[in-house]
Amino acid sequence: MFETYIEEYNEAVFEIDKDAALEVVERALQEGVTPEQVVFNIIIPSIEGMMAEIVVNADSNLAQHFMTAQIAAEVTEKMLAKFETPPEVIGRVIIGTAYGDLHSLGKRIVMGCLKSMMVDVVDLGVNVNAEDFVDAAVEHDAQVIAISSMMVHTATGEEGSLRVRALLDERKLSNKIKLVVGGAPYRFDHQLYTQVGADSWAADGVTAAKIIRELIREVKA
Amino acid sequence: MNPLEILSATVSGQASPRVPIFCNLLDQGAKILNMSPEHYFSNGEYVAEAQLKMLKHYGHDNVWSGHYVGKEAQLLGCQKILFAKNGVPNVADFVIKSWDDIATFEIPEDITQHPIWQSMDDCLRILHKEVGATNPVCAYVTASTTLPVILMGMDKWMELVLTGPKDLRDELVKKCSHFVQQQLTAYRAAGANVIIYANPFASTYFIPKKMIVDWSMPWMQQDLKYGTDSIVFYAGMAPLNTVTELVIDKLKVNIFYPAPSDDLAEAKRLIKGKGLTSGVLDDIKMIHWTEQQTRDEVKRIMELGKPGGHFLFGTGFMPLNIPEENIIAMLDAAFEYGRY
Repeated sequence: MFETYIEEYNEAVFEIDKDAALEVVERALQEGVTPEQVVFNIIIPSIEGMMAEIVVNADSNLAQHFMTAQIAAEVTEKMLAKFETPPEVIGRVIIGTAYGDLHSLGKRIVMGCLKSMMVDVVDLGVNVNAEDFVDAAVEHDAQVIAISSMMVHTATGEEGSLRVRALLDERKLSNKIKLVVGGAPYRFDHQLYTQVGADSWAADGVTAAKIIRELIREVKA
Repeated sequence: MNPLEILSATVSGQASPRVPIFCNLLDQGAKILNMSPEHYFSNGEYVAEAQLKMLKHYGHDNVWSGHYVGKEAQLLGCQKILFAKNGVPNVADFVIKSWDDIATFEIPEDITQHPIWQSMDDCLRILHKEVGATNPVCAYVTASTTLPVILMGMDKWMELVLTGPKDLRDELVKKCSHFVQQQLTAYRAAGANVIIYANPFASTYFIPKKMIVDWSMPWMQQDLKYGTDSIVFYAGMAPLNTVTELVIDKLKVNIFYPAPSDDLAEAKRLIKGKGLTSGVLDDIKMIHWTEQQTRDEVKRIMELGKPGGHFLFGTGFMPLNIPEENIIAMLDAAFEYGRY
């Protein structure tokens, strides 16, 4: 039943045609699809389709990732307001860019995907202190801290992920809160995440959402 | 042959004793002169002094007049740069905070009269005088379709490019293109003999190829309408093999600085024995590589790139925390394996 909608929606997103994607959603609603079905049977499978596409097709581009996240977040927000009962949240993430880093695109893509996958996101913004990441994770009972860095020195600096890792260890939180990193430096050096004390990393915003979802499940298991 | 002659011979396909060797050391200058980055970058004479010292110390081919990318934003009104003791200065104040600001955003009539230009002009004139006849003196210009990233932030620019009004998007790019043209003219006049023209929005890593053809390419043609002399095409460490033929055809640029992730053999095939392409070492890995790993990677790149000539060895913008011994190992290996 939903395959046609998914196919048309995905095609629009891959073509970076926001209007066409929104038209598919609107038509689905008019044809009797419920808001819950739009999210769980069209939007989430679409994001998962994009995740699969990235693995097999290296030609997917940043614009597609951005549109996947933005359209998904926008549609999900509209649909949530129409849900008969609030959906169950699968977990919570604290997200921000590393100390000294003001680049927010990657973070925005991750947030868009996570919100659509029913992950609660607490956004601390840009240029975030390590202490603030950990304090917020404790305060909001989050399972994951996600730190985005666009530059090498903010990825590897002592005030960034390294400090978050040290704080998690000091406070004996490492089993309760996982640390995931992403951003350009990690794409150039796939082992760099281990050097900065992270539990995992992702090469792009869409895959990051998948990794974070897995880490949440791991902590909750 | 001196390094400039080697570069020139490599581009034209004449015999040369070795591969040109570019090592892009920028932020290291402050450390060399024992200054804070803010103080160091405030005066072009400091930057020139450090560049000349590093050239003498390491023996690579090129020097850099460019300070940091944020200087372009400062020329366009940015009031705040976030300096870091361990890395690249970062734009901390966006000139365009909302789409409404685009209408009133203005390009300086003559950037060479702008106080911010002075330090770059001072730097270039010193470098030109000292080594301009023997070494590549590099400048960096951000393309008009990418420049808005440092004026409004990547996510806001991506949003405007992909979902915003096309006339508003192009109004901003038109202003930026005028600025790019001014910069190119000013850099050439001050003595730059290699100009890195950087455009991630010409890479299929960022946007689809159709969009590059329909939107980005016409603006690149505008940017470079006064000539492509000394232009090196670079996508900001994003892959560019998928657009190389298009760039050669439409822009008549035939010097390329691909990403480390680009297939070097394919990059060589695409330039078809004309111009030049580069084997770019993934220098972020040098942070934790051993000296031997560094040498091995240089050897691998040289073996792929050297056959048939038209090949340059280069780095990204070397992060500050690369160990000194790895820089030396890289350059030793480059000179050893880069001999013809």
